[in-house]
Order: sequence, then structure tokens, then C-alpha cells
Amino acid sequence: MELLNLYQNNYLIVFVFLCLGVLLPVVALFFGKLLRPYKPLESKYTTYESGIEPFHDSRVQFNVRYYIFALMFVIFDVETVFLYPWAVAYEKLGIFALVEMLIFVVMLLIGLIYAWKKKVLKWI
Amino acid sequence: MDMDKLLSFDWGLMAPEFLILGTATILAVLDLFLPKKINRQVLGLFGLAGIVAAIVSLVFLLDNETGSILLETFRLDSFGKAFKLLLLTGAGLVMLLAIDYKPNEGMEEYRGEFFYLFLTALLGAMMMSSSGDLITLFIGLELLSISSYILAGIRKKNTASNESAMKYVINGGISTAITLFGMSYVFGMTGSTNLRQIAAALLNVDDSQQVYILGLAFLMIFVGLSFKLASAPFHMWAPDVYEGAPTPVTAFLSVVSKTAGFVILIRIMFTVFTALPVDGEYSQTFLFANQDYIGFLAGATMIIGNVIALRQRSIKRLFAYSSIAHAGYILVAFSAMSFVMFEAIWFYLLAYLFMNVGAFAIIQLLTMKEGTEDISHFAGLYRRSPLLAVAMAIFLLSLAGIPGTAGFIGKIQIFIGALMVSPAHYVLVSIMIATTVVSYFYYFGIMTQIFFRPAAHHEKIAIQPGTAVAIIVSAAATILFGIMPQLAYGFLESNFKAFLDFLA
Repeated sequence: MELLNLYQNNYLIVFVFLCLGVLLPVVALFFGKLLRPYKPLESKYTTYESGIEPFHDSRVQFNVRYYIFALMFVIFDVETVFLYPWAVAYEKLGIFALVEMLIFVVMLLIGLIYAWKKKVLKWI
Repeated sequence: MDMDKLLSFDWGLMAPEFLILGTATILAVLDLFLPKKINRQVLGLFGLAGIVAAIVSLVFLLDNETGSILLETFRLDSFGKAFKLLLLTGAGLVMLLAIDYKPNEGMEEYRGEFFYLFLTALLGAMMMSSSGDLITLFIGLELLSISSYILAGIRKKNTASNESAMKYVINGGISTAITLFGMSYVFGMTGSTNLRQIAAALLNVDDSQQVYILGLAFLMIFVGLSFKLASAPFHMWAPDVYEGAPTPVTAFLSVVSKTAGFVILIRIMFTVFTALPVDGEYSQTFLFANQDYIGFLAGATMIIGNVIALRQRSIKRLFAYSSIAHAGYILVAFSAMSFVMFEAIWFYLLAYLFMNVGAFAIIQLLTMKEGTEDISHFAGLYRRSPLLAVAMAIFLLSLAGIPGTAGFIGKIQIFIGALMVSPAHYVLVSIMIATTVVSYFYYFGIMTQIFFRPAAHHEKIAIQPGTAVAIIVSAAATILFGIMPQLAYGFLESNFKAFLDFLA
């Protein structure tokens, strides 16, 4: 019972933070509207480009390859994250962890072969 | 854990899974390295061979004692074996459809992926059916879901297919998150992910506030899994996804994915929430105390599925709503919780597997080359191909539940199950009867098109061999289990002994 109350009290803090999170932008924006002067001018509505005259659209399409590269990077980055603790504790974990790690690396290797054959690694 | 311990596990228990995993991996590598000019349909046949091999190895395992490996995370009990048979048979029939699937815009580039994604999805479903741990259950669920998201969108150049994949991935992601949140509460209250340890820990819960939190967990897990079953009010994704996805994938979603959904639902609910007493020791268990909620959902699902199906013009949308309704029928068996529940659900899913895959095989034949899936493509089917018309009639009659077909026996069993418990579920049973009558209307609407409407054109229908096999097997099984259901029940009786080892 004691523990349960403690458990529920922890959620109280989450609730307080939730309220703060909602209130903060509401209050800030409201006071901003109250305090700031309001003098609209045509030139104020243009995009700010560090003093240069803005030209064409602000929405630019990026090549999808950037994302695929980022994805590939993340996959192998995570692999290293898993390899580090294993390498540190290798003495204790023994042969079983070695086998598991080999399975893991081989699975990622198949993924790499897949990416290579599907020409993900090629930049056109 | 050292090598000796690792080798002491009985890895043979996992043979069907290893076979499917091996086939999928070999297919993936083959697809990458085979020259472009080799027809990828060969890979489909290879995948089918893998599934057949897995069925054979599972049949050899039928006599095995209940066993578990890897610290109870993988557990081969009679429940797992029985439902794995269903999953494998369903996936095998769907694979036959997939081999013959040729959409207009062509998909030769992804043909190989199409086949091995079916296998990985099947692997996920099989892992779920024999797992004893929340983690492996979840991994299996995700493997099934992620593979089916990609499968739904495999026609890259078709906007409907893209839309269906997008809707599926968003809805599926939300439902997964909700399920996982519910599971996290169960883990938090019991300190274990192992289903049996959870059950043991829950037996001692006597604090009403803890029961309350576990009630929230029950609700969230149930809601999350209801998405997978496509039961109302969480069914909204089903018609759009079924309509846009390629026909073999639709068949897969409505048969294998739904079976897997019921498998995970039964696994979690019946191990975790039957252990939890509502109100101190020796009181009613949580699941039984809350069967009314499940019953309400079952009723709503049957009514919504059957009534909205009346208004559909697209045959795939119609079957989507019909599959929602069937999920409702099975939920009736689930909420009644009689002692024949396992048999009733298993048999209904068996009957549903054959009649639905058969119907989808014919739908694929008739609509693959057309741009739309309007019901009018069925007009005059009897004049164009009498055999196909008769086969479709068998499947429709079985879906409607007419005596002499497997669907009828399945429904009867659910009725009996819902009435044999006390208090009997009279309301649910009457809703089920009423909605079944409503369903006659749209099933027989298709039959009118087939037999009494004139055909728009009289071209011969070319039936590919794979589809033909799927239709013949499904029709034969639908009739056979309708006339001699004792074959299936005898098989259950002699091999699985009333699923007594489910909880043990």
C-alpha cells in the first residue's frame, strides 16, 4: 500500500510537469501579445534572410538518398553500441555471447549486402 | 550461460521456425544474386516448399511432450502446435495465390521480396503462437506487423496500395504502442516478463488499487490487440487496407494475421488475467469478471461488420467487412469462455481459413486484370465458367453458415459454447443469429450476380495452376469439414488432449 502511494505520487509529478508544459507557452504567448507594439508594415512580412532580399520558395526538396544514408549510418552505429559492452565483458560472457554476436553481425551483414545490391551505397 | 547449457536445449522443438527462417534468408540472398532474366516465380515455389517442409516437421513434433527452451521464452505446447498448423496451412495457400499474382503495372522488380516477406510475417505469427514470454510475443507481433505493412504497399506505383500501406503503418503503430504500454504495466506490477512467473505473481495480488492498475493494463492490451483482429470500434483501417493491398496480401491479412491476433490475445489473456483475483483470495478471476466487456465488443463487431457490408460495391471492401463480422463471431466464443472455447475457436478459424482463401482466390482471378473491384465483375460468372461459379457458391454458403459446409459447424460450436456456460449468453447468441441473417443478404447478393445476371463479356477465364490448386483444396476442405467435422475434432482430441497443458 505504502509503495503504491509512492508509485502514484510519482505520477503526480508527471501531471504537474504536464500542466506546466501546457501553461508555459499559453502564458508566454498571451503576455507577448499584451506587451508588444502592433505596427504592421509590408516589409515586416517578408522572410528574414540575414539582410539579403529573399528569393524563391523556402521549401526545398532534399534527395531521398540523404535519408537512406542516414538510416544506414544509424543501423551500423547501433551495431557498434551493442558491440562495445559485449567486448568489455567478453571474458565473463564466454562462448554463448560470441555465437549470439556472430548471428547478430551476420544478420546485419545480409542487410548490408541487400543495400549494396539495391544500389543504396551508390551516389548518383 | 555457457556452451553446454546452450547445447542441452532441445532445439528440435523450433524446427518449423528454423525451416521458415532458413527459407526466407535463402530467398533473400537468391533474389539479390540471381540474374535479372530468371523468372522470380521459381522463388515462390521454393518458399512454398519451405512451408510444406515446416508443416511436415511440425507433424513429426505433434507427439512431443510439452517442452520449452531458452528459459521458457519459447514453449511448444498443444495450443502452439494446433494454431501453428492453421498458420502454416493458411500461409501455404496464400503463397499459391501470390505465385500467380500479376498486376497490370508489373512488379517483377519486387517479386522476390513479395515472397520472402510472406515468410517473415509467417515466422512472426509462429513465434507468437508458441512463446511464453512477453518479449518474444511482442517481437513476433512486430515481425508480423512490419512485414505486412511492407506487403500492403508492395505495388509501389499504385496509389491505392500506397495509401493502404500508409494507413496500416500509422494505425498499426498506434495500436502497438498502446499494447506495449499495457504490457509495461503488467511488467511493472509483477517484475517479470515471463508469462508463468507473471501469473504466479498475480495470484497473490489482493490490493484493490493494484487490481485497478492491472485493469487499465488489461484494457490497453485488449484495445491494442483489437486493432490486429479488426474488431469494432477499432476496425476502421481494415476496409481501406484490404481494398488497396494486393489480393494475396488481403487474403493473408484476413486469414493468417487474424489467426495470429487471436493467438496472442488468448495467450496473454488466459495466462495473465485468469490468474488475477478480482477481490482477494479464492474470488472470481479478473478475466471472468470482465467477460461482459468482451461480449459487448463482440456484439458491436458483429452488428457493425454485417450492417456496413450491406452497402459495399467493391468486393474487397465487402470481404473486409465480412471478415470484421467473422472476428465478432470468434469473439463470442472467446467471451463465453466455455471449456470448449479452444476447440470452437480453432475449428472456426480452420473453416474460415479455407472459405476465405478460396473466395479470395476467385476474386483475384476475376479482378486482377480489371482496374476496379466492383461486384459487377461477378455478373454472369455461371455462364463464363460454371465450375468457378459453383466453387464460389460453396465458399459464400460456408461464409453465410449454411448446413453442409464447414462454416455452419463452426457457428454451431460457438452457439453451443455460448449457451452451455451459466449464465448463458442469450443476448450475444441472438445478436449472432440476427446478424447472420443480415449477412445472407450480401452473400446472396453476390450469388445473384453470379447465377442470374447476364455477363458483360464472354471471354474465357484463364485459370493459373497455383490458384486452381488453392481453389480445389479450399472447396474440398470446406465441404469435407462441413459433412465430417469429426475428422477435425478427432484430430484435436487425439493430438492435443483438450489443451490441458496451456496453463500447466
